Amino acid sequence: MADIILRNLSVDIPVFDVGRASLRKALLGRAIGGRFAESRSHVIVNALKNVDLDMHDGDRVALVGDNGSGKSTLLRVISHVYPPSGGTATIIGKVSPMFETTLGMSMDATGMENIQIAGTIWGMTRSQIRNSIDDIVDFTELGDYLNFPVRTYSNGMLLRLAFAIATVRDPEILAIDEVIGVGDANFFEKAFARLLGLVERSRILVVAAHQDAMLRRICNKAVWLSHGSLQAYGPIDEVLAARSNNRAA
Amino acid sequence: MNVQNITRERHSPDSPISGSPVSDLSSSVVAPQIVMRRTDTAAHIISSEILAGFRAWPVWMVMSWDDIRQRYRRSVLGPFWITLSMGVFILILSIIYSRLFHTPLEHYMPFLTVGYIVWGFISSTTSEACNVFYESAGIIKQIKLPFSIYVMRVVWRNFIVFLHTIIIYIPVAIYFKVTPTPIMLLALPGLLLVLLNQVWVTIVLGIFGTRYRDMLPIITTMIQLMMFATPIMWMVGSAENLRLVADVNPAYHLIEVVRAPALGMAPEALSWIVVISMIVVGWAFASVLMVSKARRIVYWL
Repeated sequence: MADIILRNLSVDIPVFDVGRASLRKALLGRAIGGRFAESRSHVIVNALKNVDLDMHDGDRVALVGDNGSGKSTLLRVISHVYPPSGGTATIIGKVSPMFETTLGMSMDATGMENIQIAGTIWGMTRSQIRNSIDDIVDFTELGDYLNFPVRTYSNGMLLRLAFAIATVRDPEILAIDEVIGVGDANFFEKAFARLLGLVERSRILVVAAHQDAMLRRICNKAVWLSHGSLQAYGPIDEVLAARSNNRAA
Repeated sequence: MNVQNITRERHSPDSPISGSPVSDLSSSVVAPQIVMRRTDTAAHIISSEILAGFRAWPVWMVMSWDDIRQRYRRSVLGPFWITLSMGVFILILSIIYSRLFHTPLEHYMPFLTVGYIVWGFISSTTSEACNVFYESAGIIKQIKLPFSIYVMRVVWRNFIVFLHTIIIYIPVAIYFKVTPTPIMLLALPGLLLVLLNQVWVTIVLGIFGTRYRDMLPIITTMIQLMMFATPIMWMVGSAENLRLVADVNPAYHLIEVVRAPALGMAPEALSWIVVISMIVVGWAFASVLMVSKARRIVYWL
Protein backbone atom coordinates (compact mmCIF):
# COMPACT_ATOMS: atom_id res chain seq x y z
CA MET A 1 0.00 0.00 0.00
CA ALA A 2 1.22 3.47 -0.80
CA ASP A 3 -0.30 6.82 0.04
CA ILE A 4 0.64 10.45 -0.34
CA ILE A 5 -1.40 12.75 1.86
CA LEU A 6 -0.56 16.45 1.83
CA ARG A 7 -2.44 18.79 4.14
CA ASN A 8 -2.08 22.54 3.92
CA LEU A 9 1.46 21.98 2.71
CA SER A 10 3.75 24.97 2.28
CA VAL A 11 7.39 25.10 1.35
CA ASP A 12 9.43 28.27 1.80
CA ILE A 13 12.88 28.27 0.30
CA PRO A 14 15.40 30.79 1.61
CA VAL A 15 17.68 32.27 -1.02
CA PHE A 16 20.98 33.65 0.23
CA ASP A 17 23.44 35.50 -1.86
CA VAL A 18 27.07 35.07 -0.97
CA GLY A 19 27.28 38.15 1.22
CA ARG A 20 24.19 37.29 3.13
CA ALA A 21 25.26 33.81 4.04
CA SER A 22 28.41 35.11 5.63
CA LEU A 23 29.24 34.77 9.27
CA ARG A 24 30.50 38.34 9.38
CA LYS A 25 27.03 39.68 8.72
CA ALA A 26 25.56 37.53 11.45
CA LEU A 27 28.24 38.46 13.96
CA LEU A 28 28.25 42.14 13.09
CA GLY A 29 24.49 42.14 13.09
CA ARG A 30 24.49 40.68 16.57
CA ALA A 31 27.10 43.08 17.84
CA ILE A 32 25.77 46.25 16.28
CA GLY A 33 22.12 45.42 16.64
CA GLY A 34 19.53 46.84 14.34
CA ARG A 35 21.86 48.59 11.97
CA PHE A 36 22.65 45.55 9.92
CA ALA A 37 19.24 44.05 10.30
CA GLU A 38 18.23 45.13 6.84
CA SER A 39 21.16 43.48 5.13
CA ARG A 40 20.70 40.39 7.23
CA SER A 41 17.40 39.69 5.59
CA HIS A 42 17.26 37.13 2.88
CA VAL A 43 14.71 36.43 0.24
CA ILE A 44 12.14 33.77 0.95
CA VAL A 45 10.49 32.11 -1.99
CA ASN A 46 7.10 30.56 -1.31
CA ALA A 47 7.57 27.59 -3.59
CA LEU A 48 4.36 25.86 -2.45
CA LYS A 49 1.38 27.39 -0.69
CA ASN A 50 -1.35 25.54 1.20
CA VAL A 51 -1.47 22.51 -1.03
CA ASP A 52 -3.96 19.72 -0.18
CA LEU A 53 -3.59 16.50 -2.12
CA ASP A 54 -4.37 12.81 -1.73
CA MET A 55 -2.79 10.13 -3.87
CA HIS A 56 -3.37 6.41 -3.45
CA ASP A 57 -2.53 3.07 -5.03
CA GLY A 58 -3.05 3.10 -8.77
CA ASP A 59 -2.82 6.86 -9.16
CA ARG A 60 -0.68 7.93 -12.10
CA VAL A 61 -0.42 11.63 -11.54
CA ALA A 62 0.92 14.19 -13.99
CA LEU A 63 2.20 17.46 -12.55
CA VAL A 64 1.55 20.29 -14.97
CA GLY A 65 2.20 24.00 -14.71
CA ASP A 66 4.52 26.66 -16.01
CA ASN A 67 8.18 26.77 -15.18
CA GLY A 68 8.56 27.73 -11.56
CA SER A 69 5.07 26.70 -10.57
CA GLY A 70 6.32 24.33 -7.88
CA LYS A 71 6.34 20.98 -9.66
CA SER A 72 9.90 20.09 -8.76
CA THR A 73 9.44 21.31 -5.21
CA LEU A 74 6.39 19.09 -4.81
CA LEU A 75 8.36 16.11 -6.10
CA ARG A 76 11.11 16.87 -3.59
CA VAL A 77 8.59 16.94 -0.74
CA ILE A 78 7.21 13.59 -1.87
CA SER A 79 10.78 12.25 -1.95
CA HIS A 80 11.43 13.47 1.64
CA VAL A 81 14.15 15.79 0.40
CA TYR A 82 12.33 18.99 1.40
CA PRO A 83 10.75 18.98 4.86
CA PRO A 84 7.54 21.06 4.76
CA SER A 85 7.70 24.60 6.13
CA GLY A 86 3.99 24.53 6.92
CA GLY A 87 1.29 21.87 6.98
CA THR A 88 2.01 18.16 6.86
CA ALA A 89 3.23 15.62 4.35
CA THR A 90 2.46 11.98 4.99
CA ILE A 91 4.20 9.67 2.58
CA ILE A 92 3.65 5.95 3.01
CA GLY A 93 5.72 3.68 0.81
CA LYS A 94 9.22 3.41 -0.57
CA VAL A 95 9.92 6.43 -2.76
CA SER A 96 12.23 6.36 -5.72
CA PRO A 97 13.07 9.79 -7.11
CA MET A 98 14.35 10.32 -10.65
CA PHE A 99 15.35 13.96 -10.96
CA GLU A 100 18.77 13.80 -12.49
CA THR A 101 19.56 10.40 -13.84
CA THR A 102 23.26 10.98 -13.32
CA LEU A 103 22.91 10.81 -9.53
CA GLY A 104 26.11 9.66 -7.94
CA MET A 105 27.85 9.07 -11.26
CA SER A 106 31.54 9.59 -11.15
CA MET A 107 33.08 10.61 -14.45
CA ASP A 108 36.48 8.98 -14.04
CA ALA A 109 35.08 5.63 -12.99
CA THR A 110 34.20 3.01 -15.58
CA GLY A 111 30.62 2.19 -16.52
CA MET A 112 30.76 -0.99 -14.45
CA GLU A 113 32.11 0.86 -11.41
CA ASN A 114 29.37 3.42 -11.79
CA ILE A 115 26.75 0.70 -11.73
CA GLN A 116 28.19 -0.38 -8.36
CA ILE A 117 28.43 3.15 -6.97
CA ALA A 118 25.05 4.41 -8.12
CA GLY A 119 23.38 1.13 -7.17
CA THR A 120 24.76 1.41 -3.65
CA ILE A 121 23.59 5.00 -3.29
CA TRP A 122 20.16 3.92 -4.46
CA GLY A 123 20.14 1.50 -1.55
CA MET A 124 20.71 -1.73 -3.44
CA THR A 125 22.64 -4.55 -1.84
CA ARG A 126 25.65 -6.15 -3.50
CA SER A 127 23.64 -9.17 -4.61
CA GLN A 128 20.82 -6.99 -5.96
CA ILE A 129 23.38 -5.08 -8.00
CA ARG A 130 24.94 -8.29 -9.25
CA ASN A 131 21.56 -9.61 -10.28
CA SER A 132 20.65 -6.49 -12.18
CA ILE A 133 23.92 -6.06 -14.06
CA ASP A 134 22.85 -8.26 -16.99
CA ASP A 135 19.67 -6.26 -17.34
CA ILE A 136 21.59 -2.98 -17.35
CA VAL A 137 24.18 -4.27 -19.81
CA ASP A 138 21.43 -5.46 -22.16
CA PHE A 139 19.54 -2.23 -22.04
CA THR A 140 22.51 0.08 -22.56
CA GLU A 141 23.98 -1.96 -25.47
CA LEU A 142 27.30 -0.48 -24.42
CA GLY A 143 29.13 -3.81 -24.39
CA ASP A 144 32.86 -3.39 -23.81
CA TYR A 145 32.47 0.34 -23.37
CA LEU A 146 31.28 -0.44 -19.85
CA ASN A 147 34.92 -1.01 -18.96
CA PHE A 148 35.84 2.49 -20.15
CA PRO A 149 35.69 5.57 -17.92
CA VAL A 150 32.35 7.28 -18.43
CA ARG A 151 34.03 10.58 -19.26
CA THR A 152 34.87 8.99 -22.63
CA TYR A 153 31.16 8.39 -23.32
CA SER A 154 29.07 10.49 -25.64
CA ASN A 155 26.06 12.21 -24.08
CA GLY A 156 23.80 9.56 -25.52
CA MET A 157 25.85 6.72 -24.08
CA LEU A 158 25.97 8.38 -20.68
CA LEU A 159 22.23 8.83 -20.75
CA ARG A 160 21.67 5.18 -21.61
CA LEU A 161 23.78 4.07 -18.68
CA ALA A 162 22.28 6.53 -16.23
CA PHE A 163 18.76 5.72 -17.29
CA ALA A 164 19.37 1.99 -17.07
CA ILE A 165 20.72 2.31 -13.53
CA ALA A 166 17.97 4.65 -12.42
CA THR A 167 15.20 2.40 -13.70
CA VAL A 168 16.45 -0.88 -12.29
CA ARG A 169 14.84 -0.41 -8.90
CA ASP A 170 11.35 -1.45 -7.87
CA PRO A 171 9.77 1.52 -6.12
CA GLU A 172 6.33 1.83 -4.58
CA ILE A 173 6.18 5.55 -5.28
CA LEU A 174 7.94 6.76 -8.39
CA ALA A 175 8.68 10.49 -8.56
CA ILE A 176 9.98 11.63 -11.96
CA ASP A 177 11.04 15.11 -12.96
CA GLU A 178 11.39 15.84 -16.67
CA VAL A 179 13.80 13.05 -17.37
CA ILE A 180 11.77 11.71 -20.23
CA GLY A 181 11.99 13.17 -23.67
CA VAL A 182 15.75 13.09 -23.96
CA GLY A 183 18.09 11.26 -26.29
CA ASP A 184 17.56 10.21 -29.90
CA ALA A 185 14.23 8.97 -31.15
CA ASN A 186 15.32 5.35 -31.21
CA PHE A 187 16.48 5.50 -27.62
CA PHE A 188 13.43 7.46 -26.58
CA GLU A 189 11.07 4.64 -27.61
CA LYS A 190 13.21 2.10 -25.81
CA ALA A 191 13.52 4.26 -22.70
CA PHE A 192 9.82 4.94 -22.74
CA ALA A 193 9.00 1.24 -22.87
CA ARG A 194 11.32 0.60 -19.95
CA LEU A 195 9.78 3.44 -18.03
CA LEU A 196 6.29 2.05 -18.64
CA GLY A 197 7.43 -1.25 -17.16
CA LEU A 198 8.70 0.58 -14.10
CA VAL A 199 5.48 2.56 -13.82
CA GLU A 200 3.47 -0.64 -13.95
CA ARG A 201 5.46 -2.13 -11.09
CA SER A 202 5.01 1.00 -8.96
CA ARG A 203 1.91 1.81 -6.95
CA ILE A 204 1.90 5.57 -7.34
CA LEU A 205 3.52 7.55 -10.12
CA VAL A 206 4.05 11.30 -9.89
CA VAL A 207 5.65 12.79 -12.98
CA ALA A 208 6.38 16.37 -13.92
CA ALA A 209 6.73 17.10 -17.63
CA HIS A 210 5.66 19.51 -20.31
CA GLN A 211 4.64 17.07 -23.04
CA ASP A 212 0.86 16.71 -22.63
CA ALA A 213 0.55 13.98 -25.24
CA MET A 214 3.01 11.77 -23.45
CA LEU A 215 1.47 12.49 -20.06
CA ARG A 216 -1.92 11.38 -21.39
CA ARG A 217 -0.35 8.07 -22.37
CA ILE A 218 0.88 7.20 -18.88
CA CYS A 219 -1.23 9.17 -16.44
CA ASN A 220 -4.83 8.96 -15.28
CA LYS A 221 -4.80 12.06 -13.07
CA ALA A 222 -3.21 15.46 -13.14
CA VAL A 223 -2.25 18.19 -10.69
CA TRP A 224 -2.16 21.71 -12.06
CA LEU A 225 0.04 24.08 -10.13
CA SER A 226 0.39 27.78 -10.65
CA HIS A 227 2.72 30.01 -8.63
CA GLY A 228 2.94 27.38 -5.95
CA SER A 229 -0.81 26.99 -5.49
CA LEU A 230 -2.97 24.07 -6.44
CA GLN A 231 -5.30 25.05 -9.31
CA ALA A 232 -6.91 21.73 -10.04
CA TYR A 233 -6.57 18.05 -9.27
CA GLY A 234 -8.58 15.34 -10.96
CA PRO A 235 -8.85 13.16 -14.08
CA ILE A 236 -6.10 14.17 -16.48
CA ASP A 237 -8.36 15.14 -19.39
CA GLU A 238 -10.40 17.52 -17.25
CA VAL A 239 -7.37 19.16 -15.70
CA LEU A 240 -5.57 19.59 -19.01
CA ALA A 241 -8.75 20.99 -20.55
CA ALA A 242 -9.18 23.43 -17.67
CA ARG A 243 -5.61 24.54 -18.08
CA SER A 244 -5.89 25.15 -21.80
CA ASN A 245 -9.18 27.01 -21.29
CA ASN A 246 -7.44 29.16 -18.75
CA ARG A 247 -4.66 29.89 -21.20
CA ALA A 248 -7.11 30.76 -23.95
CA ALA A 249 -9.05 33.05 -21.67
CA MET B 1 9.82 28.28 -7.53
CA ASN B 2 7.54 31.18 -7.59
CA VAL B 3 9.19 34.44 -8.34
CA GLN B 4 6.01 36.39 -7.97
CA ASN B 5 5.56 35.39 -4.39
CA ILE B 6 8.89 36.47 -3.12
CA THR B 7 8.60 38.08 0.24
CA ARG B 8 11.32 39.75 2.15
CA GLU B 9 11.60 38.65 5.69
CA ARG B 10 13.86 39.68 8.43
CA HIS B 11 16.19 36.89 8.82
CA SER B 12 17.37 35.47 12.01
CA PRO B 13 19.46 32.44 11.22
CA ASP B 14 18.51 30.46 14.26
CA SER B 15 14.79 30.84 14.36
CA PRO B 16 12.97 27.91 12.85
CA ILE B 17 10.10 28.84 10.66
CA SER B 18 7.30 29.38 13.06
CA GLY B 19 4.80 26.65 13.53
CA SER B 20 6.91 24.43 11.37
CA PRO B 21 5.36 21.03 11.30
CA VAL B 22 7.11 17.81 11.12
CA SER B 23 7.54 15.36 8.38
CA ASP B 24 9.27 12.11 8.25
CA LEU B 25 13.00 12.20 7.87
CA SER B 26 13.57 8.55 8.44
CA SER B 27 13.22 7.54 4.84
CA SER B 28 16.63 6.08 4.59
CA VAL B 29 16.74 4.42 1.24
CA VAL B 30 18.91 1.82 2.87
CA ALA B 31 16.13 0.56 5.10
CA PRO B 32 13.04 2.00 3.48
CA GLN B 33 9.88 -0.09 3.57
CA ILE B 34 6.90 1.80 4.86
CA VAL B 35 7.60 5.29 6.02
CA MET B 36 4.98 6.91 8.19
CA ARG B 37 4.82 10.45 9.23
CA ARG B 38 5.65 10.79 12.88
CA THR B 39 6.39 13.57 15.23
CA ASP B 40 10.03 14.38 14.86
CA THR B 41 11.25 13.85 18.37
CA ALA B 42 14.88 14.55 19.14
CA ALA B 43 15.46 10.83 19.51
CA HIS B 44 13.90 10.23 16.13
CA ILE B 45 16.11 12.77 14.36
CA ILE B 46 19.22 11.42 16.05
CA SER B 47 18.28 7.93 15.01
CA SER B 48 17.29 8.80 11.43
CA GLU B 49 19.96 11.39 10.66
CA ILE B 50 22.94 10.11 12.64
CA LEU B 51 22.63 6.47 13.70
CA ALA B 52 20.95 5.26 10.50
CA GLY B 53 23.87 6.69 8.55
CA PHE B 54 26.41 4.68 10.53
CA ARG B 55 24.45 1.54 9.80
CA ALA B 56 24.54 2.35 6.10
CA TRP B 57 28.30 1.73 5.99
CA PRO B 58 28.32 0.15 2.54
CA VAL B 59 27.10 3.44 1.10
CA TRP B 60 29.74 5.71 2.62
CA MET B 61 32.51 3.19 2.16
CA VAL B 62 31.75 3.04 -1.55
CA MET B 63 31.66 6.85 -1.73
CA SER B 64 34.95 7.22 0.15
CA TRP B 65 36.75 4.70 -2.01
CA ASP B 66 35.45 6.36 -5.13
CA ASP B 67 36.73 9.72 -3.86
CA ILE B 68 40.18 8.23 -3.33
CA ARG B 69 40.16 6.52 -6.70
CA GLN B 70 39.07 9.72 -8.42
CA ARG B 71 41.92 11.62 -6.87
CA TYR B 72 44.59 9.16 -7.95
CA ARG B 73 43.17 7.62 -11.10
CA ARG B 74 45.79 6.95 -13.75
CA SER B 75 48.66 7.67 -11.40
CA VAL B 76 51.09 4.81 -10.96
CA LEU B 77 51.50 5.08 -7.19
CA GLY B 78 47.89 6.04 -6.49
CA PRO B 79 47.26 6.93 -2.86
CA PHE B 80 50.83 5.96 -2.10
CA TRP B 81 51.82 9.33 -3.50
CA ILE B 82 50.74 10.77 -0.15
CA THR B 83 52.83 8.13 1.59
CA LEU B 84 55.84 9.10 -0.48
CA SER B 85 55.49 12.86 -0.15
CA MET B 86 54.80 12.66 3.57
CA GLY B 87 57.73 10.28 4.02
CA VAL B 88 60.13 12.67 2.28
CA PHE B 89 58.76 15.62 4.27
CA ILE B 90 59.21 13.77 7.56
CA LEU B 91 62.73 12.64 6.66
CA ILE B 92 63.99 16.09 5.71
CA LEU B 93 62.26 17.86 8.58
CA SER B 94 63.64 15.30 11.04
CA ILE B 95 67.20 15.80 9.90
CA ILE B 96 66.98 19.59 10.17
CA TYR B 97 64.82 19.96 13.28
CA SER B 98 66.57 17.30 15.34
CA ARG B 99 69.71 19.44 15.04
CA LEU B 100 67.82 22.66 15.60
CA PHE B 101 66.32 21.28 18.83
CA HIS B 102 69.49 19.35 19.76
CA THR B 103 67.44 16.19 19.99
CA PRO B 104 68.89 12.84 18.86
CA LEU B 105 67.41 11.79 15.51
CA GLU B 106 66.40 8.41 16.95
CA HIS B 107 64.09 10.23 19.36
CA TYR B 108 62.96 13.00 17.07
CA MET B 109 62.05 11.09 13.94
CA PRO B 110 59.65 8.51 15.46
CA PHE B 111 58.06 11.36 17.45
CA LEU B 112 57.56 13.52 14.35
CA THR B 113 56.38 10.61 12.22
CA VAL B 114 53.50 9.55 14.45
CA GLY B 115 52.56 13.06 15.50
CA TYR B 116 52.57 14.50 12.01
CA ILE B 117 50.55 11.64 10.51
CA VAL B 118 47.91 11.69 13.25
CA TRP B 119 47.76 15.48 12.90
CA GLY B 120 47.32 14.99 9.15
CA PHE B 121 44.16 12.98 9.79
CA ILE B 122 42.82 15.48 12.33
CA SER B 123 43.53 18.53 10.20
CA SER B 124 42.27 17.12 6.89
CA THR B 125 38.96 15.92 8.37
CA THR B 126 38.51 19.24 10.18
CA SER B 127 39.11 21.38 7.10
CA GLU B 128 37.12 19.17 4.72
CA ALA B 129 34.27 19.15 7.26
CA CYS B 130 33.09 22.62 6.23
CA ASN B 131 32.27 21.37 2.75
CA VAL B 132 30.82 18.05 3.78
CA PHE B 133 27.25 18.76 2.65
CA TYR B 134 28.25 20.94 -0.31
CA GLU B 135 30.28 18.24 -1.94
CA SER B 136 27.30 15.88 -1.73
CA ALA B 137 24.67 18.51 -2.60
CA GLY B 138 23.72 16.74 -5.81
CA ILE B 139 22.75 13.62 -3.89
CA ILE B 140 21.18 15.46 -0.93
CA LYS B 141 18.83 17.38 -3.21
CA GLN B 142 17.64 14.28 -4.95
CA ILE B 143 17.45 11.46 -2.47
CA LYS B 144 16.90 11.42 1.27
CA LEU B 145 19.74 9.68 3.03
CA PRO B 146 20.83 10.21 6.64
CA PHE B 147 23.13 13.23 6.83
CA SER B 148 25.75 11.25 8.70
CA ILE B 149 26.43 9.28 5.51
CA TYR B 150 28.10 12.35 4.00
CA VAL B 151 29.96 12.95 7.25
CA MET B 152 31.29 9.41 7.27
CA ARG B 153 32.22 9.75 3.60
CA VAL B 154 34.67 12.51 4.55
CA VAL B 155 35.94 10.89 7.76
CA TRP B 156 36.42 7.49 6.18
CA ARG B 157 38.11 8.91 3.08
CA ASN B 158 40.66 10.61 5.30
CA PHE B 159 41.04 7.54 7.45
CA ILE B 160 41.97 5.58 4.32
CA VAL B 161 44.63 8.20 3.64
CA PHE B 162 45.78 7.88 7.26
CA LEU B 163 46.16 4.12 6.88
CA HIS B 164 48.26 4.70 3.75
CA THR B 165 50.57 7.07 5.58
CA ILE B 166 50.91 5.47 9.01
CA ILE B 167 52.86 2.64 7.38
CA ILE B 168 55.76 5.09 7.23
CA TYR B 169 56.13 4.49 10.96
CA ILE B 170 56.98 0.81 10.44
CA PRO B 171 60.41 1.32 8.78
CA VAL B 172 61.08 4.29 11.08
CA ALA B 173 60.38 2.22 14.21
CA ILE B 174 62.48 -0.66 12.93
CA TYR B 175 65.42 1.54 11.90
CA PHE B 176 65.53 3.39 15.21
CA LYS B 177 64.87 0.20 17.17
CA VAL B 178 61.72 1.38 18.96
CA THR B 179 61.20 -1.59 21.28
CA PRO B 180 57.80 -3.24 20.79
CA THR B 181 55.93 -3.32 24.09
CA PRO B 182 52.37 -4.32 25.00
CA ILE B 183 51.69 -0.68 25.80
CA MET B 184 51.75 0.07 22.07
CA LEU B 185 48.39 -1.66 21.77
CA LEU B 186 46.92 1.34 23.61
CA ALA B 187 47.38 3.28 20.38
CA LEU B 188 44.40 1.42 18.91
CA PRO B 189 41.78 2.59 21.44
CA GLY B 190 43.48 5.98 21.19
CA LEU B 191 42.92 5.99 17.45
CA LEU B 192 39.31 4.99 17.95
CA LEU B 193 38.85 8.00 20.24
CA VAL B 194 40.37 10.30 17.62
CA LEU B 195 37.97 8.87 15.01
CA LEU B 196 34.97 9.35 17.31
CA ASN B 197 36.09 12.89 17.97
CA GLN B 198 36.50 13.75 14.29
CA VAL B 199 33.00 12.49 13.49
CA TRP B 200 31.31 14.99 15.79
CA VAL B 201 33.69 17.73 14.65
CA THR B 202 32.69 17.02 11.06
CA ILE B 203 28.97 17.08 11.91
CA VAL B 204 29.25 20.42 13.73
CA LEU B 205 31.53 22.15 11.20
CA GLY B 206 29.52 20.65 8.36
CA ILE B 207 26.31 22.26 9.59
CA PHE B 208 27.93 25.63 10.34
CA GLY B 209 29.93 25.51 7.13
CA THR B 210 26.80 24.94 5.07
CA ARG B 211 25.04 27.92 6.59
CA TYR B 212 28.06 30.21 6.80
CA ARG B 213 30.44 30.08 3.90
CA ASP B 214 33.16 31.89 5.86
CA MET B 215 33.72 28.89 8.08
CA LEU B 216 36.13 27.28 5.63
CA PRO B 217 38.75 30.08 5.58
CA ILE B 218 38.38 30.52 9.35
CA ILE B 219 38.99 26.84 9.98
CA THR B 220 41.83 26.66 7.46
CA THR B 221 43.61 29.53 9.19
CA MET B 222 43.04 28.03 12.62
CA ILE B 223 44.43 24.69 11.50
CA GLN B 224 47.59 26.34 10.21
CA LEU B 225 48.06 28.10 13.53
CA MET B 226 47.32 24.96 15.51
CA MET B 227 49.97 23.07 13.62
CA PHE B 228 52.61 25.35 15.13
CA ALA B 229 50.96 25.75 18.52
CA THR B 230 50.78 22.00 19.01
CA PRO B 231 53.76 19.82 19.91
CA ILE B 232 54.05 18.08 16.57
CA MET B 233 57.36 19.41 15.30
CA TRP B 234 58.60 20.45 18.74
CA MET B 235 58.63 18.51 21.99
CA VAL B 236 57.03 19.65 25.19
CA GLY B 237 60.33 19.44 27.04
CA SER B 238 62.34 21.39 24.46
CA ALA B 239 61.85 24.78 26.11
CA GLU B 240 60.62 26.16 29.37
CA ASN B 241 56.99 27.10 29.90
CA LEU B 242 55.85 25.15 26.86
CA ARG B 243 54.09 22.66 29.10
CA LEU B 244 51.14 24.99 29.49
CA VAL B 245 50.81 25.60 25.74
CA ALA B 246 50.49 21.85 25.28
CA ASP B 247 48.17 21.16 28.20
CA VAL B 248 45.51 23.69 27.22
CA ASN B 249 45.63 22.54 23.59
CA PRO B 250 43.00 19.91 22.73
CA ALA B 251 44.92 18.92 19.60
CA TYR B 252 47.89 17.97 21.76
CA HIS B 253 45.81 15.52 23.78
CA LEU B 254 44.20 14.08 20.65
CA ILE B 255 47.63 13.39 19.20
CA GLU B 256 49.04 12.14 22.52
CA VAL B 257 46.50 9.33 22.99
CA VAL B 258 47.91 7.77 19.83
CA ARG B 259 51.48 9.04 19.75
CA ALA B 260 52.54 8.22 23.31
CA PRO B 261 51.61 4.52 23.15
CA ALA B 262 52.97 4.24 19.60
CA LEU B 263 56.33 5.40 20.98
CA GLY B 264 56.05 2.90 23.81
CA MET B 265 54.88 5.23 26.59
CA ALA B 266 51.52 5.33 28.34
CA PRO B 267 49.73 8.61 27.65
CA GLU B 268 49.20 10.88 30.61
CA ALA B 269 45.88 10.49 32.39
CA LEU B 270 45.14 14.12 31.53
CA SER B 271 45.19 13.35 27.81
CA TRP B 272 42.67 10.55 28.19
CA ILE B 273 40.44 12.71 30.36
CA VAL B 274 40.53 15.66 27.98
CA VAL B 275 39.87 13.53 24.89
CA ILE B 276 37.02 11.58 26.46
CA SER B 277 35.43 14.79 27.79
CA MET B 278 35.73 16.38 24.35
CA ILE B 279 33.98 13.40 22.82
CA VAL B 280 31.14 13.47 25.35
CA VAL B 281 30.57 17.23 25.19
CA GLY B 282 31.15 17.38 21.43
CA TRP B 283 28.71 14.59 20.66
CA ALA B 284 26.09 16.16 22.87
CA PHE B 285 26.54 19.45 21.01
CA ALA B 286 26.53 17.76 17.60
CA SER B 287 23.30 15.95 18.47
CA VAL B 288 21.57 19.11 19.64
CA LEU B 289 22.71 20.94 16.52
CA MET B 290 21.53 18.15 14.24
CA VAL B 291 18.16 18.00 15.97
CA SER B 292 17.59 21.72 15.53
CA LYS B 293 19.06 22.09 12.02
CA ALA B 294 18.38 18.80 10.21
CA ARG B 295 15.29 20.25 8.57
CA ARG B 296 17.16 23.32 7.32
CA ILE B 297 20.33 21.85 5.81
CA VAL B 298 18.86 21.00 2.40
CA TYR B 299 17.49 24.53 2.04
CA TRP B 300 20.91 26.04 2.65
CA LEU B 301 22.58 24.10 -0.14
